[in-house]
Amino acid sequence: MTRMRIPTLFATLALLLGACAGAGPAATAAPTTEADIDITGPVSLTLWHALTSDPQKAALEAAVKKFNDTNGKGITITPVVQGNYTQLYQKTLGAIQAGALPEIVHAYESQVADYQKAAVVIDLEPYMNSAKNGLTKASQDDIYKPYFDTNRFPQYGNQLLSFPFTKSLFVMYTNEDVLKAAGIASTPKTWAEFETAVMKTTQKDASGKTTRYGWAQPLDASNFNAQVMSMGGNIMSADNKTVAWDGKEGLAVLQMYDRLWKGGYAYTPTGFDWQNDFAASKLAFTMGSTSSRPFIAGAMKTPVAWNVGVPPQTDPTKPRTVMYGANIAVLKSTPQKQLASWLFVKWFSDQAQTADWGTKSYYMPVRKAAATDEALKSYWTSKDPQGKQAFDVIGSSIPEPNVRGQQEIRDVIFDMLTKVTTGKATPEAAIKDAGQKANDILKANQ
Amino acid sequence: MSGGAIAQSERAASRRRRGLIENAQAYLFLLPAIAFLGLFKILPAVYAVYISFFRWDVVQGAFRGLDNYFDILWQNSTRSQAWWQSLSTTVTYALITVPFEIAIALVVAYVLFQKLRGRDIYRTIYYLPYVTSTVAAATVFFYVFHPQYGIVNQLLGSIGITGLKWFQEPDGIFQMIGNALGVAVPDWAAGPSLALVGVAIFSIWHFLGFQILIFLGGLGNIPLEYYEAAKLDGANQWQLFRRITLPLLSPQIFFVFTIATIGVLRAFNEIFILTNGGPLDTTRTVTLLLFKTFFQQGQIGLGSAMGVLLTLVILAFTLFQFRILGRRVEYG
Amino acid sequence: MNVPQVLPRAIARPLRPRIPRIGSTVFKHLVLILVGAVVAYPFYFMVTSSLKEFFEATSTPPTLFPTSLHFENYVDAWSRQPWGRFFANTFFIAGASVAGEIVTAVLAAYAFAQMNFRGKNVLFALFLATYMMPGEATLIPNFVMMSKAPPGVNPFFPIPRLNLYDTYGAQILPFLASAFSVFLLRQQFLAIPKELRDAAVIDGAGHLRFLWSVVLPISVPALVTVAILSFYASWNSFQWPFIVTSSEAVRPVQVGLNAFRAEAGSQYHLLMAAASFVVAPIILLYLVGQRFLVQGVARTGIRG
Repeated sequence: MTRMRIPTLFATLALLLGACAGAGPAATAAPTTEADIDITGPVSLTLWHALTSDPQKAALEAAVKKFNDTNGKGITITPVVQGNYTQLYQKTLGAIQAGALPEIVHAYESQVADYQKAAVVIDLEPYMNSAKNGLTKASQDDIYKPYFDTNRFPQYGNQLLSFPFTKSLFVMYTNEDVLKAAGIASTPKTWAEFETAVMKTTQKDASGKTTRYGWAQPLDASNFNAQVMSMGGNIMSADNKTVAWDGKEGLAVLQMYDRLWKGGYAYTPTGFDWQNDFAASKLAFTMGSTSSRPFIAGAMKTPVAWNVGVPPQTDPTKPRTVMYGANIAVLKSTPQKQLASWLFVKWFSDQAQTADWGTKSYYMPVRKAAATDEALKSYWTSKDPQGKQAFDVIGSSIPEPNVRGQQEIRDVIFDMLTKVTTGKATPEAAIKDAGQKANDILKANQ
Repeated sequence: MSGGAIAQSERAASRRRRGLIENAQAYLFLLPAIAFLGLFKILPAVYAVYISFFRWDVVQGAFRGLDNYFDILWQNSTRSQAWWQSLSTTVTYALITVPFEIAIALVVAYVLFQKLRGRDIYRTIYYLPYVTSTVAAATVFFYVFHPQYGIVNQLLGSIGITGLKWFQEPDGIFQMIGNALGVAVPDWAAGPSLALVGVAIFSIWHFLGFQILIFLGGLGNIPLEYYEAAKLDGANQWQLFRRITLPLLSPQIFFVFTIATIGVLRAFNEIFILTNGGPLDTTRTVTLLLFKTFFQQGQIGLGSAMGVLLTLVILAFTLFQFRILGRRVEYG
Repeated sequence: MNVPQVLPRAIARPLRPRIPRIGSTVFKHLVLILVGAVVAYPFYFMVTSSLKEFFEATSTPPTLFPTSLHFENYVDAWSRQPWGRFFANTFFIAGASVAGEIVTAVLAAYAFAQMNFRGKNVLFALFLATYMMPGEATLIPNFVMMSKAPPGVNPFFPIPRLNLYDTYGAQILPFLASAFSVFLLRQQFLAIPKELRDAAVIDGAGHLRFLWSVVLPISVPALVTVAILSFYASWNSFQWPFIVTSSEAVRPVQVGLNAFRAEAGSQYHLLMAAASFVVAPIILLYLVGQRFLVQGVARTGIRG
C-alpha cells in the first residue's frame, strides 16, 4: 500500500524529534529544553480556525485580542478563518505540502493524526510539564480527564499533540412545546420511549404525507458514534486496530434510522436548516453538538420551551455520549514561536478564561473549577439554562477515535447512513460493507 | 569580380544582417510570452508526467513507474472503482447537459433572430448568467433549489410533485419516476442522480447565453438567397429550418458541441459549490476526484496521474470530434 | 482548435432579420419572455432575498417580494468579513494580470503577425498546444512549483520551487501570458495593411515605433476585448486561488464568498446580500462593455 511506509517513517521521525525536544513527561524539567526558554522578543503567530460564525467567531477574536493585549511578552496572534472544518482541514493539508504552515491550528483529533503523518505537530507534554512555563499538577487535574484522553495519540507514542479548545458534547435537543402538544409528559430517556415520541409528534395529512416530522437528524459520523455509545456499544476495538461500531448496537441504530425514515417520521435536513425548523416548532427532536444553541435561540421568532440533555440511552442509569468539538494544535516553527503558541494555549485554559469562554462562545469550559465561577453561574441562570444542562453531561462523555484514517472512516460512515436513509441498502448490508471498508482503511494506516 | 557583383554581395550581406537583426528582435518580442508560458504551462505539463511516476504524498517518495496509473485503472480496487465511477459520472453529466444546452439555445437563437421589438433587452438578459461568476451563481442556485425555501419545489408542489431533495438526492431519476408510477426500475437503469440533474440544470442555465451568442453569429452568416430560392420551390417553414438553417449552422453547432463538452469534462466550481461531489459520490466527476485526491488526501502523485489521464481523455475526444464529426460539417 | 476560421465574424455587422418568419409575433414574445423569466429569476431571487429578514428568507413557501425592505442586511454581511480587502485584492490581481497579459500578448502577436524569423511555425504550433492544454493537468505541478522546497529538497531541480504560496504572485504570475490572447491579437495585427508598414519603414520607423504609433491605436477595440475577457476570467476565477492562498490578506472575492457560505450558514438573506455585491461589479462591467465582451466571445469562442 502506498500509504504504509511513509507514515511509519514519519512516526519514527516524530519520535526522534520528540526525543530531541527533550523533556518527556517524566523528566525533571531541565532548563536546557525548548519548553523552558524565555520569550526574548516580539513574536507574531497565526491561528487558523473554523469558527465561521458569530457569536463564536467574535468570541474567539475578542479572546485573542485580550491575550495580545495582556500577555506582556510581545506575543501577537492573528486569527484567520479558513472556512468550515472540512475546508480548514484541506487548507492545512495544502499548507503542509506548500511548506507554509500557521503556528497554531484548530482541528479535530482525527485531523491532527493526519497532520502528524508529516511530523509537523508539536508534542505539548514537555511544555505542559515545564516548571517554568507549564501547568501545575493540580491545575492539570482540574481539566476533565476525557479532554486529555482525546488529545493523546496512541499511534504516536501517546504524545499530547493537541489541547482542548472548542469543546462541546453530543446532545439531544427537545422542543417541549411540541412534546406537550402531543401529550408527552417528559423528555424520553430510553431509545424505545424516544421512538414512540418521534412517531407521536409526527403529523401527517389525510394522504399520509408528513406535514411535521418528529425528528431531524443530520447525517454525520460523530452523531452515529454517539448513538452507538448510548446504546451501549463501542466505537473501536480495544487495540484500535479494527472498528467496533459495526456490531449489534451499530446495527440497531441503523435499523432505527431505517424504520423512522421509511415511515416518514424522520428526515435528513439540508445543512444547518434544521435549526430553523426546530426553532419554529416544526420538529420535536434533533441531535447534535451543544454548540448549536445560539443559532437555535437566534432562529426563534417567538419563545419556545426547549432543553438539551444526554441522548436516549439503553441504560439510563449509566448515560454515555460522545465528546464533541475540536482542539488546538501547535505546529512546528521556531522554539520561540512554539513556546509563544503554548503560552496562548495555556492561557486559554486558565480558569477565568475558560469560564469567560463558556459565557460567550457556547462551548464548554474545560475545567471543573469553572463551574464555581460566578459570572458563568449567573450567565447560565439568566441567559443559557441549556448551557448548564450541557455542562452537566461532560462527565458522561467519551472521546471519539483519534487514529490515523479516522478522517476517511468518517466518510465511510456518512455514506453508510446515506445509503440506509435513502433506502439504497438494508441496514445489515450497509453496516457490513462499511465495517469492511473502515477496517481496510485502518489496516492501510497502521 | 565586377563592381555589380560586389554591390550585390554587399546587398546580400546587409540583407543577412537585417535578417539577423529581425530574428533577434522577433525573439526579444516573443521572450516575455515564451518565458511565462514556458514556466507555467509547458514545464508543468512535463512535471505532471514526472510527478505521476512517483509515490508522492506529502513529499516526493520512491519512483514507481506506471504503478500510479495501474492503481487508478485496475490494480487498487478502491482507487479504480472511484476512477471508473467518476469517469462514468463525467460522461453522464456531459450527456444530460450538452444536447439540451444546444437544443434550447438553438430554439431561442432562432426566435431571437427574427425581427422583434426589444431584442437587445432579451439578449442582455440571456447573457447575464454567463458573465456571473460560477461561485456566486451556484450559491444562488443552491438556494433557488432549496427543498423548503426555494421556489422550484414550490412550483413543482403546485403540480403535485413534492419533497424533492435536489442536491442531496442520490437516487436516479428514472428510478424516482418509476417509484412514483409504481414500476420497479432495475439498478442499471436508475439513471443519473437527481443531484447530478440539478448540476446539469445549473450548467445549462449558466452557459445558455454563450451558445445563443454563437448561434446568432452563425445565423447572421446564412445567405438569404438560399431561403428565397427554397421558398420559390415551395418549401414550408419546417423544411427551411431542416434543410437550410440546420446544415448551414452546422459549423457553429459543431463548435458549440466541442467547446461545451470540453467545458463539462473540466467543470469543477459549480459541482464543488452545489454538491461537493455528493450525495453518495453521484456527482463526483473526474475533476472532483482529482481535487479530493490531491487536496484532501494529499496524494500528489496519484492526483497528477489522474490529471494526465483526464488530459488524454479530452485529447482523444477532441481528435475524435475533428476526425469523425468534423468531416460531416458543412462549411456552406 | 481552429477557432477563428470556424467562427462567424458577423456579430459586429447588423443582423439581417429577414430570415423566414415563424409563428406569430405574440407567440415569439411569449417564448422569449418565458425563457427570459427562467434565466433572470435567480437574479431576482438573489436581490429580493437579500432584502428580506431572516424569518422571511427561510419561510416555506418563499415570498415573491419582501414584506419589508432590510437594506441593513448589506451592512451586516459586509461587516462579517474584510470584504473591502477582498475586493481590493481582486482588483489588484485582475488589474496586474490584465496589464501583464496585454503587454506579453501585444509583443508576441506582433512578432507572429508582422515579423519574419526562424522557427516561426514551430513556435506558433507550441503556442497552440499550450492553448489546448487543459488546466487540470498543470494544477498540481503549478501548486508544487508555488510551494516552498521541503528541507533537503533541491529548490531548483528537477522542479523549481518559487515559494510563492499564499502571495499575490501565485495568483498573478501564471496568468501573465495567454496563448489565447496572442491568437486574438495576431488575427487583428494580420489585418493591418502592408502599405502601412512599408510607409513606416520609409520613414525609418523601427518595429517598436510602428507598433506603438500605428498598430496599437488602430487596434483599440481588439485590445479592449482582450482586456475585458482577461479581467472577467481573473475576477471569476476560484479553484486556483482557493488552492494556493490561505490568508485573508491576499484572498480574492470569490474565495471570500465561498468562505462566507460557511459563515452565513442558514442566514440566506446575508448570503444573498454578499452574492449581490460580489456579482455587482462584473455585471456593471458587462452592461457597460457589453459590445466588447459579446464581440470578443463571438470572435473567439471562449466559454469560461
